[in-house]
Amino acid sequence: MPDTQPQIPVTVLTGYLGSGKTTLLNRILSENHGRRYAVIVNEFGEIGIDNDLIVESDEEIYEMNNGCVCCTVRGDLIRVVEGLMRRPGRFDAILVETTGLADPAPVAQTFFMDEDVRSKTRLDAVVAMVDAKHLPLRLKDSREAEDQIAFADVVIINKTDLVTADELRSVEATIRAINPAARLHRAERAGVALTDVLDRGAFDLKRVLADDPHFLDHEEHDHDHDHHHDHDHGHHHHHDGEVSPIHDVTVQSVSLRGGEMDPKRFFPWIEKITQLEGPNILRLKGIIAFKDDPERYVVQGVHMIIEGDHQRAWKEGETHESRLVFIGRELDPERLKRTFEACQAA
Amino acid sequence: MSRLVNPLAPRRAVPERTRQIKDWVRQLHALDDDVTVSVTELACGEEGCPDIETVIGIMRPGQKIETLRVHKPIAEVEREDIGSHG
Repeated sequence: MPDTQPQIPVTVLTGYLGSGKTTLLNRILSENHGRRYAVIVNEFGEIGIDNDLIVESDEEIYEMNNGCVCCTVRGDLIRVVEGLMRRPGRFDAILVETTGLADPAPVAQTFFMDEDVRSKTRLDAVVAMVDAKHLPLRLKDSREAEDQIAFADVVIINKTDLVTADELRSVEATIRAINPAARLHRAERAGVALTDVLDRGAFDLKRVLADDPHFLDHEEHDHDHDHHHDHDHGHHHHHDGEVSPIHDVTVQSVSLRGGEMDPKRFFPWIEKITQLEGPNILRLKGIIAFKDDPERYVVQGVHMIIEGDHQRAWKEGETHESRLVFIGRELDPERLKRTFEACQAA
Repeated sequence: MSRLVNPLAPRRAVPERTRQIKDWVRQLHALDDDVTVSVTELACGEEGCPDIETVIGIMRPGQKIETLRVHKPIAEVEREDIGSHG
């Protein structure tokens, strides 16, 4: 008999000590949003709420394949999730809090690789909390701070009241430079709407990018440029599209646009790219228009793990355009652009 | 619905096979209830790696994870495959 239990949604909350993560965590645990959360934390001490579904867990990196980053997961999460699953009915969602020094990739990959974790849970979103005041310093200090932003589906810029409008713009530009695909929210005292954090469906192929008509259009929408949607810009692409004024980012994003694709070219291409460049690709997301296909196809990936499926029918008047963003390190934008364009249907 | 063949379709879980493999591992390695067994099907693209393999992690409390490898997909793993690595 196949398992029919619904998959438990998992939200991963990353961020440095002092970013406001614990304040947000406590809000999630105490506010009335209709869900009971089991919380996996690194240290009990920070949480002020007494809840027997708070589980402490020490980071345990499990390299399944001799150091290959694409095959590295978090052993402690496999153990804890299995333990939690022995208590069905006690909770209906899981929140994983990571430390500021944690690499988000093994955390995310755990939810795609271990068979039981994968079948019983579903990763909902990676949320990064950043402190507007101290972000420049954090980025200077550590690669993890950059990785956490690069990996995030949602970035909350907290403590905006502690910076000037110019500083905030600079912080936002830096975050955009690292990750042009994430949703950005400003907050003071972690006062973000919980609907912006929970139940995002960021890895759900039926929902990913579904409610983001401006995916990859941030350079047009974040600033007060004319909203000229002249879709005759052909195969526009940009890499490191935003220039960070406060940090030389090592993570780069490569955004590609094209017309209708030939599936016989596109699939072998994306499989080869993720196989060869998997260790360098932190995240990828995209919407693909295939020639003579009435439905739009969405794709998302973490390192070498890549999933794609049809999402919905193209709407009347909607431009059949393919858009793909890679976020990673040491990517070759020109090669990606050239080979992506070669996948277009004749 | 479109008729596109989708090579990137999310892989379907095979919970009953996974459960079976875990039971075999527990019996053959005489594991206590506090030991977690992890089963993962890997298709690593790295050179020198098999196209597909099943990686079994034996997670004893407080100990380094012991890894068993079977160069087959989860659906084809047999009891003998686990025993021969034990």
